[in-house]
Amino acid sequence: MATASGGSEFVDKFPDEAAIIKASFLIAFVSLGIGAFFGLIQALHRTNVLRVIDSADYYTLLTGHGVLLAIVFTIFFLCGVFHWAVARSLDRPAESALFSWAWVGLMTTGTVLATVAILGGLVPNLGMSADVLFTFYAPLQAHPIFYIGLAMFIVGTWLSGADWFLSYRAWRQDHPDERIPLQTFMVLTTMIMWYISTLGVAVSVVFFLIPWSLGLIESVNPLLTRTLFWYFGHPIVYFWLMPAYLLWYTVLPKLAGGRLFSDPLARVVFLLFLLLSTPVGIHHQYLDPGIAEGFKFIAMTNTMFLLLPSLLTAFTVVASVEHGARQRGGEGYLRWLGALPWRDPAFTGMALAGAMFAAGGFSGMINAGMNINYLIHNTLWVPGHFHLTVGTAVALTMMAGSYWLVPQVTGTKLYSRPIGLLQVIMWFVGMVFMSNAMHRAGLAGIPRRTAEPQYQNFEFLTPIGSIFELRVQIALGGTLLFLSVVLFLFNILLTSLGEESDRPVDSYLPEPLSGPEGSPRILDNLAMWTGIAAVLVVLAYTLPLAGIIQNGGGLFGGGLPVPATVSAGFDLVMTTVTSAFNTLWGVVA
Amino acid sequence: MKLTKARALILIAFSVPVAIELRTVAGFFNVELPLIAVAVIEFLFLALLFVLYGLYGEGSESAA
Repeated sequence: MATASGGSEFVDKFPDEAAIIKASFLIAFVSLGIGAFFGLIQALHRTNVLRVIDSADYYTLLTGHGVLLAIVFTIFFLCGVFHWAVARSLDRPAESALFSWAWVGLMTTGTVLATVAILGGLVPNLGMSADVLFTFYAPLQAHPIFYIGLAMFIVGTWLSGADWFLSYRAWRQDHPDERIPLQTFMVLTTMIMWYISTLGVAVSVVFFLIPWSLGLIESVNPLLTRTLFWYFGHPIVYFWLMPAYLLWYTVLPKLAGGRLFSDPLARVVFLLFLLLSTPVGIHHQYLDPGIAEGFKFIAMTNTMFLLLPSLLTAFTVVASVEHGARQRGGEGYLRWLGALPWRDPAFTGMALAGAMFAAGGFSGMINAGMNINYLIHNTLWVPGHFHLTVGTAVALTMMAGSYWLVPQVTGTKLYSRPIGLLQVIMWFVGMVFMSNAMHRAGLAGIPRRTAEPQYQNFEFLTPIGSIFELRVQIALGGTLLFLSVVLFLFNILLTSLGEESDRPVDSYLPEPLSGPEGSPRILDNLAMWTGIAAVLVVLAYTLPLAGIIQNGGGLFGGGLPVPATVSAGFDLVMTTVTSAFNTLWGVVA
Repeated sequence: MKLTKARALILIAFSVPVAIELRTVAGFFNVELPLIAVAVIEFLFLALLFVLYGLYGEGSESAA
């Protein structure tokens, strides 16, 4: 994994790629700014600290916050990072700059359309709204251009993946016997996972939600669109997370002063995410009627398996960072922590993000457990959880990574390391306040997704402290997080406007301690792993979907989902199993 | 080990979750810690850190 860029900087060696990455980052950061502003308004509104909007508009801002941050910011940033990683690790530009601009253009157009539809909700006279929240399934309905924009965005991501696969294919022709460079391996496995998982949302949007919103069909099967959404809605978590993992595995050890502990282990982790991240979405539907308990149990089991790659990552990344600290003179069982480069915001931000991800993982296990999930389902606990995962592990890693990546694609030095350090620490503290209070509020039963969490003649109780304290923590946390984003955007803006430097950042990435030669070559057989992933999806989803279609009034609804105790008829089961077997056989053959 | 500004900031950051959950930990031992007590403890920690930074921080004689 030695640097492919040699002595020259990325922007000098790959100017077209740098331009693509800058465009991706620009859209990501604009979305981050708008989404964070919406988040501040929501935090202050819900906690009754400051109300500047009508409560009806809360849902418009909530949708904007979710879509702009969890989809647009994360995925545009991901595209920039992946484009950088593929060009850098293969040491070659993309096959066609025009093609690269095509996916940037398509994703941008989709983003604009979806955003216009969302913001249209703030202007009643427009007759346009998309207050469907981040979880855009029926029966909530948005304006058609919201769904069309999302479809264009998804197709854009497919094209971006094709761009990187084309680069890989060209590289493979020149290097028939070499192992896939680690960063490219990470990009390709992530994109395979994305192709498999987005099929669900593509079917939901194209075949059901767009025709329904255009009035071409009268009804949809709500449980079907919901299940297809969660078929994609959980793997998207890993789509956000994988670029963060890429940075933790390949950049963080270098920033710590060391080297990646194990290249083979990193490959295994990414393959496990490819296999395991898709057949789990039903764990978001434990309380849905119309899905038999057995399928929910299978989803829970699969979800628990997903802990394995996360724990492997915790071991590998911490081992790599400890190695770096000892290279810098760190000693003792824990004193080596003091030898780490805490002045560097890129390192500190990623390290803090990883630490908070551990907490998010623990609360995620609570979400995944069928029994205990009933305690926190649809409470504020859940936003508390994903503000630790996507809101910190991913977002903070992306912001911290920007302090190292942006100088590489702009050719300018970071404007201010102290501001960067203050920013990442402010994010950590803000998120501690906010997510901690959200988890606690969830345990007290305070609902999520509402502008008015207070009930009349009812009082939420907490075992320790008061609800008032929790509200103050959420408002304080939200304010700190917004200020942190302002500092970040300020720092990045001035960085990009700075004077060019011969060596804006040390971009060298050292070889891992244990290289790819120590792993079996079968890890690089992407076709085989894709086939296995598809088989697992078929096994996990065929029967539940058959039951949902049969018992929910067919593909287009017209009836209500029946209780989970009613199963699919024998004939339908046989037909489904036969077609599933044929599909499997087709994949294997 | 020199107490740099960055290290001091990290220690402050990590003191926040500890302070927030201090009452929970005390609750495990049937000790009801009022919010004001937590605020005082956190303030004392910050004051201690400030003193240590003055004694051993960047620019201090000991650090030099």
